[in-house]
Amino acid sequence: MKILVPVKRVVDYNVNIRVKADGSGVDLANVKMSMNPFDEISVEEALRLREAGIASEVVAVSIGPKEAQETVRTALAMGADRGIVLEAEGTVEPLAVAKLLKAIVAEEAPGLVILGKQAIDDDCNQTGQMLSALLGWPQGTFASKLVLGDNGIEVTREVDGGLQTVRLSLPAVVTADLRLNEPRYASLPNIMKAKKKPIDLRPAAQYGVDLTPRLMVLKTAEPPVRPAGRRLASVAELVDCLKTEAGVL
Amino acid sequence: MKSSSTSDLLSRFAALVGPGHALVEEADKARYLVEWRDLYRGETPLVLRPANTAEVAAILRLAHETRTAIVPQGGNTGLVGGQVPIPGQHEIVVSLERLDKVRSIDPLGNSMIVEAGMPLASVHAAAEAADRMFPLTLASLGSCQIGGNIATNAGGTAVLAYGNARNLVLGLEVVLADGRIWNGLRQLGKDNAGYDLKQLFIGSEGTLGIITAAALRLRHRPRGVAAAFVSVGSPAAALGLFARAQAAAGFGLTGFELMSGLAMEFALRHIPGARLPTAPAPWYVLIEVSSSLSGSEADATVLDILTGATAAGEALEAAVAQSFTQIDDFWRLRHGMSEVQKHEGGSIKHDVSVPIGDLPAFLEEAMAAVEAAFPGCRPVPFGHMGDGNIHFNVSQPVGGDRQAFLARWNEMNAVVHGVVRKYDGSVAAEHGIGRLKVDLLAEVKPPLDLELMGRLKAAFDPLGILNPGRVIRRP
Ligand SMILES: Cc1cc2nc3c(=O)[nH]c(=O)nc-3n(C[C@H](O)[C@H](O)[C@H](O)COP(=O)(O)OP(=O)(O)OC[C@H]3O[C@@H](n4cnc5c(N)ncnc54)[C@H](O)[C@@H]3O)c2cc1C
Repeated sequence: MKILVPVKRVVDYNVNIRVKADGSGVDLANVKMSMNPFDEISVEEALRLREAGIASEVVAVSIGPKEAQETVRTALAMGADRGIVLEAEGTVEPLAVAKLLKAIVAEEAPGLVILGKQAIDDDCNQTGQMLSALLGWPQGTFASKLVLGDNGIEVTREVDGGLQTVRLSLPAVVTADLRLNEPRYASLPNIMKAKKKPIDLRPAAQYGVDLTPRLMVLKTAEPPVRPAGRRLASVAELVDCLKTEAGVL
Repeated sequence: MKSSSTSDLLSRFAALVGPGHALVEEADKARYLVEWRDLYRGETPLVLRPANTAEVAAILRLAHETRTAIVPQGGNTGLVGGQVPIPGQHEIVVSLERLDKVRSIDPLGNSMIVEAGMPLASVHAAAEAADRMFPLTLASLGSCQIGGNIATNAGGTAVLAYGNARNLVLGLEVVLADGRIWNGLRQLGKDNAGYDLKQLFIGSEGTLGIITAAALRLRHRPRGVAAAFVSVGSPAAALGLFARAQAAAGFGLTGFELMSGLAMEFALRHIPGARLPTAPAPWYVLIEVSSSLSGSEADATVLDILTGATAAGEALEAAVAQSFTQIDDFWRLRHGMSEVQKHEGGSIKHDVSVPIGDLPAFLEEAMAAVEAAFPGCRPVPFGHMGDGNIHFNVSQPVGGDRQAFLARWNEMNAVVHGVVRKYDGSVAAEHGIGRLKVDLLAEVKPPLDLELMGRLKAAFDPLGILNPGRVIRRP
């Protein structure tokens, strides 16, 4: 079985992002970009399935600017077998991504697509679900555990207040949650090997999908600054503050 | 200050700072009297929290007039007890915490004037807001203050590329022992007009004056950072790797830290969520390379170093960070090293340096010496290999008695420092002397050094009211 793992190039989780002066978005000039952390988890899970002999090949695919090749290269350095980049400038919204992925699925015929549950830049949490609907495949979202058996795949899902286990027939779409695994570090030999693995770069336009955004960003704003903590002298003062300043009593 | 007028005197001091900033209640004073390693418990009649330089000056004028001993305190993260008031000595603590403002920032001149009580992390944030960086980095970042860093000439993990605190200070404002304010807040790249007085206060650990503000040197932030976690077979292999890394990265080599296998085991055991990036090995190295051009240049340099080191047998295995999160993961292991030792019972510390080329021989001899003298003890050396600076810490034997082990602190020191001296190293590489090493310093320093230090102290603090008994013995 082949596993397809979509990986997105996003602003590094540990970067202190700044909003552009005109509020149109965040400033990305000279900012570190990395693989979406949830996608690292998807790659890791796919690699484990391959190492367990369940999967035969792991293909990483990214939709984004040319530099998305670096993100795919990271997946290859972790151990994925080959990569595909569909080159598209600017924002590509989840629905367009899902349609492009559907086209890739048609070409590659994977038995399983593992995506991150969301990307940390737009926090959409939509692509996996949309892909599943477009393909007509079952979906197991927010996965914290995967077990592949003869009757398909059991997905333990992180739902509000607990866990839910569902069984899906294959082929299927799964989205990875934080607790699914801990992604491996890229070792030196694997990084060197990854340099030789093939990445197929194609224009996204060749798939005939309309990539024009359907949403318009009206405004981007910094979160309000949290006021510094303050030491109060007595319980009476605290109660007073809760009443007058915080207005919670 | 031992007469019946003690309470009068305390009120005179209290009147110099704003209401609520002269602390006398035990509960309020408590956090100024304990320190990180719990080697010292302090006692003081009064903690003063002045708001500005003028208030600090007023306090020292009164202290000078009444011969009252003063202990300046920054973030209270010092590791040698200097900032803790000595029980029975009626020393008044002067905390700089309210002097916490940025006075000015000049991105084009790459300098910034800040008050002494600013936490180092806030200094970093202020520099970053101006698209610059202040490189000094210690694990105590969130608590220690820039004034304390300068008073101790702090080192840390960025010394290799940017120097220690001394190299990052352009000027100082200091309140002298008699309360006069010395304004040395200059921001000059060159200034040979007479003795460079500021240098005397840097690393003086509060014994020559109270630092109230500093002009700091800023740097441009590197555009790219890359890091690798490398397992190595021995310190000698690590030394080969170091030379290789320096050759390839030049000034871009911003970190080179050595960690022993056992030190790493402690880290993995006690840091939540920690995991080892390579297979277990006798020693590990954390390499960080920065590039003023790009992340890909930094990455390429790291790969170049590692490829060569692997071929030469210096590196056993290596993991290369693919994101800032992974770089942080690597550093978290290194920064957690001293904290985790608390969970392994008593630990006897040595903050030493030797010429870098002698580090492998030093480590081998010192480890053998302590293991022979203290059977079952667990040496867990780690530190700033690039500076020849190792925290040669020794944990107690498993299941042994903590107090009995710690009671042998001086004996253990003698063994380790004996090896340090053989290599003409320093027994106080970056944490200073404070109270912990006063006797040791008197023992290892030549008489002429001690005489000159005594004369400096007498010149700057003739009445001996500033941090008495720290760094050098009372006259
Ligand atoms: C987890 C941890 C990691 C550390 N890592 C490092 C490291 O890597 N490298 C390193 O060099 N050190 C390290 N240290 C120790 C280091 O000395 C302190 O972190 C720091 O430099 C001291 O700053 P502070 O504000 O806490 O000073 P304090 O502890 O409050 O004081 C230290 C000394 O300076 C004097 N002092 C403080 N402020 C002033 C002032 N404004 N004017 C005059 N004298 C003053 C005090 O009287 C005292 O003698 C570490 C400490 C901890 C707890």
